[in-house]
Amino acid sequence: MVIYLIVFFAVTLIYFASAERLATYIRLIGLQGLLLCGIAISELKDVNTANLIFIVAETLLFKTLLIPYLLSAIIRKSGVTKVHRQALPGFYLILFSIAALLLSVVLANSLINPFINTIFMTIALYTLFTGFILIVTHRLIISHLIGFLIIENAVFIFSLAVGSEMPMLINIGILLDIFVGVLILGFFGLRLKPHTNELTMLKD
Amino acid sequence: MLLMFFIITAIMVILIFLFRNRTITKFIAAGYAVMHILLSLYCWSNPDATELRYFTFNSTGVLLLSILSVLVIPTIYHGFVYTRDDDLKKFNIYHGALITLMTFMSGAYLANGMTVLWIFVEATTLAVALLIYHDRTEIALEATWKYVFICSAGIALAYLGILFLGFIYGREDAASLTFSSLSELINQANPMYLKIAFLFVLIGFSTKMGLFPMHTVTIDAHSVAPPPVSALISTTLMNVGFLAIYRVYTLFSSSSVLPFMNNVLIFAGLLSLLVAAGYMLKAKHLKRMLAYSSLENMGLVAIATGVGGSGYYAALLLIVLHSFAKSSLFYQMGQLSRVLGTFRLDDCGNYMKLYPAGSLVLITGLISILAIPPSGLFISEFLIMKGLVYNNQWFVLITATILLCFVIYAMSTRFMHIIFSNPRQYPEFTQSVKVRPVETVTQFILLGIVVMICFYQPHFLVDIINQSFSLLPR
Repeated sequence: MVIYLIVFFAVTLIYFASAERLATYIRLIGLQGLLLCGIAISELKDVNTANLIFIVAETLLFKTLLIPYLLSAIIRKSGVTKVHRQALPGFYLILFSIAALLLSVVLANSLINPFINTIFMTIALYTLFTGFILIVTHRLIISHLIGFLIIENAVFIFSLAVGSEMPMLINIGILLDIFVGVLILGFFGLRLKPHTNELTMLKD
Repeated sequence: MLLMFFIITAIMVILIFLFRNRTITKFIAAGYAVMHILLSLYCWSNPDATELRYFTFNSTGVLLLSILSVLVIPTIYHGFVYTRDDDLKKFNIYHGALITLMTFMSGAYLANGMTVLWIFVEATTLAVALLIYHDRTEIALEATWKYVFICSAGIALAYLGILFLGFIYGREDAASLTFSSLSELINQANPMYLKIAFLFVLIGFSTKMGLFPMHTVTIDAHSVAPPPVSALISTTLMNVGFLAIYRVYTLFSSSSVLPFMNNVLIFAGLLSLLVAAGYMLKAKHLKRMLAYSSLENMGLVAIATGVGGSGYYAALLLIVLHSFAKSSLFYQMGQLSRVLGTFRLDDCGNYMKLYPAGSLVLITGLISILAIPPSGLFISEFLIMKGLVYNNQWFVLITATILLCFVIYAMSTRFMHIIFSNPRQYPEFTQSVKVRPVETVTQFILLGIVVMICFYQPHFLVDIINQSFSLLPR
């Protein structure tokens, strides 16, 4: 079951490279949250109830519901619906994405370790690279935000790859990261120049 | 004691927002300064003690905590001056956030495990965001946005580095283990994992240390943050980033990846120097120029650590002295902006005529920060050069020296212009304010310490620095 979920998660990453509408990005982020919830429940078999509730709340409330809601609010306010200011055409983004996937496979296989699930490692690396590709190749702030959220998801998968039980401290760490994500989205994302969505003032 | 410190700080912050009274806020901030100094003294008197399971008073942490304790009074004092015309809400938010930031930094210094250290570093991002956004302008919003965004991405990378530590040991609780427990397992680890973990940690925490390639975030934050906050970002907050990298470096130093880490640090340091020198030559904003100077100094710290041997001592001494010299310059920037009404270099001039005490601070600060004798920084940079010669790293030595010459030229010409020349263009309107010379006292004291260290290094300082790198290979 968990294999299907993780492969489905990888498919959403490929879809990120080809999508151009911000609404699609938001739906994909919400879907990723849901998939992560499923992966965490399937993977964390020996986890205690309190920890499980925490993780489900983390993935369902924050990643699946709250963050897509805030992203939608930003898009509604800014009126920007398409990623039309990206630095590279979509075709090259797909090529980059495929290259990232291949690199992730090679890297994960060169880092084989009896304690680590190689598929988790591959997808976590691919998620990380996808987040960076999105940040580097797009100019809109909202795309940067989505890139950051994908990196957050990569961190979550990495932490799942460590073992069958995540200690509370790691959960707190992830929660704090999500808190910062919400702060970025809710406070600054809504206030920053919504018309152009580009930063220009601070430079030498 | 540490639990009391955290609880009292939380109560203080709550009281600030509960009473909504300027005088009470001032009393609370002053009380916090006293409490912080007492905490440092307590840490000095209980070396290597562990409290609350996650905090240990080891020498590196205590050294950096003490630097913060020295800076806490001038920072709060200059904060009072900076915010005196603000409305009550902004005044309270500023001081509440400042106290919170200092507490998070203290927690990061004393943390004895990677995860707890990481949580405190992340928390500093939130507190400092409020302070950068203090002026509520569009440019402040942009700088805050960049700071929070890039720091969060960087911190996420650093967290990946911590998770790689977990991969190394294959233990679920690896990320919550203390540094001392991890050090016992380090030699069993796959070097490839150690290298990846170090790279993630270095890049991630570079957002805090202000090192290349994540330096841009602190440069932008400096240019809009209130000067006393810039003083903290440029010194004690950068020290937090340094500490995080230094902890991992110390942890891995007994393994086979030490030469790799040294090479990476020297490379990052050289690139930091290159970027700093290049941008300082074209800098048009005074605070941005000082921010690039911090980048240059952090580059030197990275090189010193990478050099090893006497470089370790040089790195830690540089951290201490840079904190004092740079913070005094940033405090002075607050006064300069009140006198000249601008930070734009083209609009600045005749500072000696307008405010002689401030000009003296600038001249002394310039000599100190450029490591020109009698600055104590000269000792650090001399030891770095000596280490490079000893290791036969001639390319690094020559490149660093050339880049430092550019830095010296860029900073001294601009400072001399501000102090002695007429402005290149007069700003349309500036409301010059009389600043009392007595306000520079704290700056002279800090610069006096930097000069004193050139001639006399007290035993307690030498001892604690030596203890800080006692675990590293000589």
